[in-house]
Amino acid sequence: MKGLFIVSGLGILAMLAEIFKFKKLVYPLVLIGLIAAYAVNFTEWNFDWSQGNPYPLFANMIRFDNPALAFSGVILAVAFFWFIFANDYFKNETNITDHFALVLFTLTGALMLTAYQNMVTLFLGIEIMSIPLYVLAASRKNDMSSNEAGFKYLIMGSFATGFLLFGIALVYGATGTFDISLISAKIAAAHGALPIFCYAGILLMLVAMCFKVSAAPFHFWAPDVYQGSPTVITAFMSTIVKTAAFAAFMRLFLFGFGPAHDKWATGLSVIIALSLVISNITAAAQTSVKRMLAYSSISHAAFMLMAILANNGDMSVPPILYYTFAYSIGSITAFAILYAISKSEGHDGFDAFNGLGKRNPLIAACMVIAMLSLAGIPITAGFFAKYYIFTTLMATTYKWLLILAVLTSAVGVYYYFKVIIAMYFKSSAKSEAVAFDSTTTALVVITSLLTLAIGFVPNFIIDMLR
Amino acid sequence: MIKLIGLVPLFPLIGFLINGFIGKKLSKGVSGAIGSFSILASFVVSLLIFIELNGSAQKSHVVDLFSWISSGNLQVPFSFLVDPLSALFLLIITGIGFLIHVYSVGYMHEDEGFSRFFTYLNLFVFFMLLLVLGNNYLIMFVGWEGVGLCSYLLIGFWFKNTAYNNAAKKAFVINRIGDLGFLLGIILIFFTFNTISYGEVFKLANTGIAAQGTITAIALLLFIGAMGKSAQIPLYTWLPDAMAGPTPVSALIHAATMVTAGIYMIVRSNIFYSMSDVASETVAVVGAATALFAATIGMVQTDIKKVLAYSTVSQLGLMFLALGAGAYSSAVFHVATHAFFKALLFLGAGSVIHAMGGEQDIRKMGALKKALPVTFFTMAIGTIAISGIPPFSGFFSKDEILAHVYEENKLLWFIGSVTSMLTAFYMFRMFYLTFFGKFRGTHEQEHHLHESPKSMTVPLIVLAILAALGGVMGLPEFWGTHNWIADYLSPLIYRKNPSILSHETEWVLMGLAVAAAAVSIYTAYNVYRKNNILPAAKEEDMGGAERFVYHKYKVDEFYEAVITKPLNLISEAFYKFFDLKIVDGIVNGTGQAVNWFSELIRKLQTGNIGFYILAMVAGIVAILFTSLF
Repeated sequence: MKGLFIVSGLGILAMLAEIFKFKKLVYPLVLIGLIAAYAVNFTEWNFDWSQGNPYPLFANMIRFDNPALAFSGVILAVAFFWFIFANDYFKNETNITDHFALVLFTLTGALMLTAYQNMVTLFLGIEIMSIPLYVLAASRKNDMSSNEAGFKYLIMGSFATGFLLFGIALVYGATGTFDISLISAKIAAAHGALPIFCYAGILLMLVAMCFKVSAAPFHFWAPDVYQGSPTVITAFMSTIVKTAAFAAFMRLFLFGFGPAHDKWATGLSVIIALSLVISNITAAAQTSVKRMLAYSSISHAAFMLMAILANNGDMSVPPILYYTFAYSIGSITAFAILYAISKSEGHDGFDAFNGLGKRNPLIAACMVIAMLSLAGIPITAGFFAKYYIFTTLMATTYKWLLILAVLTSAVGVYYYFKVIIAMYFKSSAKSEAVAFDSTTTALVVITSLLTLAIGFVPNFIIDMLR
Repeated sequence: MIKLIGLVPLFPLIGFLINGFIGKKLSKGVSGAIGSFSILASFVVSLLIFIELNGSAQKSHVVDLFSWISSGNLQVPFSFLVDPLSALFLLIITGIGFLIHVYSVGYMHEDEGFSRFFTYLNLFVFFMLLLVLGNNYLIMFVGWEGVGLCSYLLIGFWFKNTAYNNAAKKAFVINRIGDLGFLLGIILIFFTFNTISYGEVFKLANTGIAAQGTITAIALLLFIGAMGKSAQIPLYTWLPDAMAGPTPVSALIHAATMVTAGIYMIVRSNIFYSMSDVASETVAVVGAATALFAATIGMVQTDIKKVLAYSTVSQLGLMFLALGAGAYSSAVFHVATHAFFKALLFLGAGSVIHAMGGEQDIRKMGALKKALPVTFFTMAIGTIAISGIPPFSGFFSKDEILAHVYEENKLLWFIGSVTSMLTAFYMFRMFYLTFFGKFRGTHEQEHHLHESPKSMTVPLIVLAILAALGGVMGLPEFWGTHNWIADYLSPLIYRKNPSILSHETEWVLMGLAVAAAAVSIYTAYNVYRKNNILPAAKEEDMGGAERFVYHKYKVDEFYEAVITKPLNLISEAFYKFFDLKIVDGIVNGTGQAVNWFSELIRKLQTGNIGFYILAMVAGIVAILFTSLF
């Protein structure tokens, strides 16, 4: 909760900076603020909720329990890395304080989504997170594709929000409450005897959430928006926003609609299967690394959805937590490198990476770690991320999905390795090193080491919530 | 102090990282100092731990570092076990390791891969320490594989020479065969006892919940692992070839430490062998056969390092013979004394090779006594020690082993005794040919002869003192003296069989052994010193039998014909038919199918919002329809 206060305070501070002219100070202040938020976030760890809510003002609509704090921790940590990666974005663009404020409010919404206890705060969180994102996607004002991305995102997003609201209304109509724990209890007590529009509401909310995490067939916006947005914003969307969306999805369906599992599971399993096939197969045909990463993020979403599909209550949470963190730091590494490469080479195709193994051996090594992790190759974090999801799903009747997941991730290995092949086996006309500033180099080295480290001691994160 | 056990492997790891990453930029002095002092630091910590362990009543301490792997009912904590066995091995590894590092500073001084050498050497010590410190079979396995890797890297250290690379490859591949056995053993242990932590496994095994057949299978699988690493028949052929590596490597890895890992493993798992007569007998027979077989090959070798290599294989065989006879502490005793005198002999040989400008053929040496006084004197001690002359260390450990074997099986005792006789003979053969007679090298070499620098001779002297006096660890009980090492190790030996020999028998056996050694030495003296007979200079001059033994009974050729060639033929056939046609066909076909499919799906991504929303609505309708009706 305190982390949420700090981050929203930072957002307001960034807006004031424009008026009171301390723009230069905003960037360091944000970094310090995020560290502070991260630290205070964990002071609330293991709070005994039977003692009553320490923030009665919020009428039990927000509740920072351990899963919420863990996901907030992931979001804040990744946000810290992201700000370091994006330092250049905040230097070169105009209206930087606006951008700071927008990003920080998105973060505020993201933190809310980890901890909501009520469908109203869920809706608020999603909107607080989404609306600044529409603007950020279009933040390169003179770039047509950036404008197109923002516009597409807005229209599609509003459409999905409509379904979400409609779903909330229907569920409220059937159960008479917005509180997800009470809804859960009502659904369980009714033994399937609730009016049919309640289940329709749940399914509409499922669709809306699937849109937010870009699962097929509600994913069409994602490649276009990811491609058109500035690369740093794409990185932001595919890591922090995705983590928050998953935290929200998980909270709603595991702790709210868990008892109605039989009504939504079939639909979700089909969505997962479609996402796996479409994302991986389309990603294989891409020539742009950025677009490949966009499609692959759909595939990662499908993996995380599997843990929700398993509907294993508290046991489904640690695998998702681990996956979001492993995927986020791998993506931050990949995007940071891609950003510098595409700036220097002028495009973001696979051939922009040609000969990088010779030109920048250290950076290329970090990229290899990121690609291996995203592809789920052992000793990296990505392997254990998939492994824990698989073990969770293994106990259910959806073993066919596992087989599909393994087959499609084999396709995934193909397109991730295309980057590695370009770096080490293809030669480039240029032989001089691509310029990487020391901040980016330090960042990708740290995130790569982190990828290896949590792959070596996965239990460090998994055991947090046990 | 025991809580700080993590420091022991940490220091070499740090040394490895420093030398590995920035070693090239450091001067040779700094690089060597980092390499050596990291081991010295480990040795000091090990010594303190050893002292503390001796003083404390609790003889086994488990130090948990972190939770490592947890999957289903497999829980593998990363924890270390400090008990008499691991503490003793720590001292051997870090103590002798340190001396050999110091020696290497002098020996490798001219080499351009100086820092790389210390990188590998430190990494080796790190893995070796993991191997003996782990509290479960998996950590032992990690160390086991790690030392195998370092051994590979160091055998092929001079990688520009193809023959050396092939030797490295051979070592690696043959070890793999053993490793597979070891791994299967670990899996079977987990399958049977649901745990792989030593304490729990041994306790469960001791209650007898596992079937006799399973125990035997575990013991035999583990022994296959030991055969590979400790060079026993039929997997011994890599060790003589491993002499391609720099001599300090031969001393540290291929004599004193790594090759004794198999003995460590079996002593650690002694309960399985005590419970299975079949496994014990197999170990004993393989050990005895290896001991005798390698000793006969050692008789006719002319390369100074090859003589020592076959002698190592033979001595390892003797240790396995002890293990098979249930004399676990005697085997460890021999590991320790062997580490002293064999490291000494190898380093001495290195000093000789150094002086001879790289020459390794003993037929071209001779009369080095004058030019290399320190090397001569220390190697004399090593040779006497390995030959089993009292009161040098080898005498005590070898005698203890033979006495135990005599209790179990008279035939194996006889083989062991013959091996000892042969050992004394070929060691003195090497000794006389190297240091006495006339100098047989080139004039240039004779001019160049010099004693090695201090950094090489000081380790020799230290090791010589240890080789001479190391026997005090295990003085025979029947002398009325205290056998320290037997008592020291007794807490971890699960089932002991008390000695049934009378003191008279033991005296007779001991007398016989000494007499046999003396006869051998006298024979060697007669042939090579007094009559100055040289081994045949060319192969053509050898007799048929001698040539056959000189070619190591053609075992390599036999393996080549029986295993390698047929395997190559089969794999060639599989490659041409199965791989090229079927596997590649499926793979390429799938690839084409995916490409075709993706071109199709790509067309869906039109960029048209209207279509996107249509798809979304269609999805919603489909989900609502199928889920609700």
